[in-house]
Amino acid sequence: MPNAALSVRNLTKQFAVGPASVTAVDRVTFDVRGGEFFTMLGPSGCGKTTTLRMVAGLEKATSGEITVDGRDFMAVPPQRRNIGMVFQSYALFPHLTIFENVAYGLRLRGIDAAEIRRRVGATLGLLQLEPYATRLPAGLSGGQQQRVSLARALVYEPTMLLLDEPLANLDAKLRVMMREEIRALQRRLGITTLYVTHDQEEATAVSDRLAVFDRGRLIQLGTPEEIYTRPQTLFVADFIGRANFLPVRLAVGGTPSAGVTLRNGARLAPERQVRLDAAEAATLTSGDDGTVMIRPEHLALSTAVGDVPCRVERIQLLGGLIRYTVQSAASPADIMVETTRALPGIAEGAGAHLRIPAADAVLYHR
Amino acid sequence: MPAAALSASTAAWRPGRDWAALALGLSVALVTIVFLLYPLANAMLLAFVKNGEAPAWASLTLANFARFFTAASYKRALWNSIYSGVAATLLATALALPMAYAVARIEIPFRGLISAMTVVPLISPPFIGAYAWIILLGRNGTITQFVHEWTGWTLPTIYGPPGVILALALSYFPYVFLIVQGALAAADPHIEEAARMAGAGRARILRTITLPLVFPAAAASMLIVFIKAIGDFGVPSILGGEFQVLPTLIYYQIHGYFNLNAASAIAAVNVLLTLLAMLALSWVNRKRNFVTVGGTSRAATRLASPGARAFGNLYCWLVIFIAILPQLVIALASFAARWPGTMLPESYTLDHYRAVWSQLTSPIVNSLILAGVATAVCIVFGTVTAYASARGRLRARWALDLTIMLPFVLPGLVVGVAYLTAFNSGPLVLTGTAIILVLAYFTRRVAFVFRSVAAAIGQIDPKLEDASKICGAGWGTTMRRVLVPLAAPAILAGAVLVFSTLIGEISATVLLYSAKWKTISIAIYELVLGDQLAQASAIGTITTVLTLLLVLAASRIAGKNMADLFR
Repeated sequence: MPNAALSVRNLTKQFAVGPASVTAVDRVTFDVRGGEFFTMLGPSGCGKTTTLRMVAGLEKATSGEITVDGRDFMAVPPQRRNIGMVFQSYALFPHLTIFENVAYGLRLRGIDAAEIRRRVGATLGLLQLEPYATRLPAGLSGGQQQRVSLARALVYEPTMLLLDEPLANLDAKLRVMMREEIRALQRRLGITTLYVTHDQEEATAVSDRLAVFDRGRLIQLGTPEEIYTRPQTLFVADFIGRANFLPVRLAVGGTPSAGVTLRNGARLAPERQVRLDAAEAATLTSGDDGTVMIRPEHLALSTAVGDVPCRVERIQLLGGLIRYTVQSAASPADIMVETTRALPGIAEGAGAHLRIPAADAVLYHR
Repeated sequence: MPAAALSASTAAWRPGRDWAALALGLSVALVTIVFLLYPLANAMLLAFVKNGEAPAWASLTLANFARFFTAASYKRALWNSIYSGVAATLLATALALPMAYAVARIEIPFRGLISAMTVVPLISPPFIGAYAWIILLGRNGTITQFVHEWTGWTLPTIYGPPGVILALALSYFPYVFLIVQGALAAADPHIEEAARMAGAGRARILRTITLPLVFPAAAASMLIVFIKAIGDFGVPSILGGEFQVLPTLIYYQIHGYFNLNAASAIAAVNVLLTLLAMLALSWVNRKRNFVTVGGTSRAATRLASPGARAFGNLYCWLVIFIAILPQLVIALASFAARWPGTMLPESYTLDHYRAVWSQLTSPIVNSLILAGVATAVCIVFGTVTAYASARGRLRARWALDLTIMLPFVLPGLVVGVAYLTAFNSGPLVLTGTAIILVLAYFTRRVAFVFRSVAAAIGQIDPKLEDASKICGAGWGTTMRRVLVPLAAPAILAGAVLVFSTLIGEISATVLLYSAKWKTISIAIYELVLGDQLAQASAIGTITTVLTLLLVLAASRIAGKNMADLFR
């Protein structure tokens, strides 16, 4: 079935480096529903590609389980998993024509010539590649090679599609175009898709759900919206979107919800204490250090009175939005404020006031 | 895509074929042990056993080695090997360095042709060059007579150290040229430009930047020449006269006394010399890392002053002329009816070719068969081991590389001795058969395919194999459909090098051939010793033309300059 459900349990990969071993993937667990577009996101070296390659069978897992529609996949060699995969370098066979590249998987399945012609033709048509059937990969542009790579992965109707940084080698405009195309195709075919990228914008734009990886661990799993508004760690907050981090002191021991004190003395009561479970909260004492994260677009900047007096350092026009960079006693680092319209009365070098809406502030212990 | 077609596609699975990888791996290991490791180890063991005694713990002795301290002939041969090896290396380097600089850094025409021409001495067997020098500089040689007529001087004899050193240097100098020229061409031109901007003149840049940059490449190539020179049998046996070196000493121990133990001991010393040079080579190669290869594909600016160009043209073509002079002389001699020390032959004939045709067809056929079969074995074995080395997660990769490279650098006489000792008695008796020649050829030359294919596989994106597996192909299918087609030019290039250099192989053949399996090289060798230079020239010319055509064809198919096949 093209919409198989994938289940990954405690997947671990250790590489031997000399006498020691490095854990590249550390007890990763997640489920991908049938027909879902699921993305693994993280900086390079976080274990996302290794996880993908273990699902493909190209990398042998040290321990854990991979099941597809309830069937154990650990002992199945990659050529028998019936998975489609697109590689960052496309990995087109340079000695075969576009037609033969796409036909490759069908020939291995012993399908007769007429049927191969029909299915390769249909797939090439789906990706607008018919005019290039007789060409060699070297004669195609990056975007076209990317499409051929997709066609080759889809033509034998795999149970699942794996994409490993498929857009990394394309220029910015084409990247946006191709990601929309991939998403539309995925919707149309209803194929379960496991996608790997280090680009958070790409990930949030196309995914049904995404998993953020850091140093071999799955840190947070959720819809793009959940992860953007409720990042569970400072790392996720920093990695997804832009964020301001303000050092704070907890005001009352044991009940962080009672409020925090900013460096300039202003008090704030952030509603979400994401990282503080009950046991940890109980150990808190008044005066502990914490960090408040707030997105630039959630801050308000005005000439009227607010929580934090500040000085406007710089005003930049960034495409559709305006970024104000301000300095204040509340934070040693500059604070970014973003709006879609120019704020009246705010100029570079002038004084202003910041308002921090507590409902959008997220508190982290240390 | 219709979902209905899916069930058909998944139902048609073929079983996995990874047993192919296992079977190939096992047979490679078996061949490596039986035909590469065992003969060498056996020969090294026999070196410590007295002649005529069975190898046992009690009979181990250093007596065979003691001769290097007691017997004058042994002492002299060891010294002569080192001396002629070093001298030939220095002469080759002196010839090659200015030429490498000229081709890489002076604006002269036909640079590709000059590089290609240097391949000629590499593919024609060194002993063919050796007897050409007899025609030119021997007692009744053309140049000898010419000088005597016009100046009254008698040139010193060509036999002995001067002739050996000259012929070896001219045979192997292309290695220095090709490697140093390649390094010069690959060096980042910005470095020299930076020196120029800093105020350095051409001469200063050459001394302080260019030469230090290519020094490691030059040192590496010199060691290769030294290794080749101390292993050469043909040149010293034809031009040496009383001048004995280790390979000729091995030959006489076997042909004179059939003393395998003494020959093994001499071989062991020869191996030791080679290994020392190899050790130095790997040390130099590790130091080569600092050579910056620029990210730019722009070539360095070349000197274009009239003086520099005149020097470059003159020097390069002079060296090329001297280097291919032996082949030209032999071609001329093969058509000469009478050539009594005059500048050119007095009259011409095709008789020598007719004689070769009527009398020497069987050596030609033998050589073609032996070289052909050995090449086929090299292709299969070399490709598989190259794949294992380039892709496999082998802990013992260095051991595999060493096992393949060792017989390649060892003198042919040493491999000959190893095979004689290993397969003359015991469970596997092969002496006197064609098989032993094929196996010896295979061990000595498989590295050509191995190196060429390993380099090519290194250039192939491993993701292609992943993609093939994901599409449903097993290891065998991936090999057949993806890897072999992509590596085909490299396989072909390696195979042609194997075949063309085997046609003239003499140093292992001379110990292993039998009356039934006499080769071209042996036929030439016997003709030269019997003073039938004209017939030897005819068959020598045929060999050179044949190999040259093959190498040319291979370089065309691989899309490279002939010279690149040897770099």
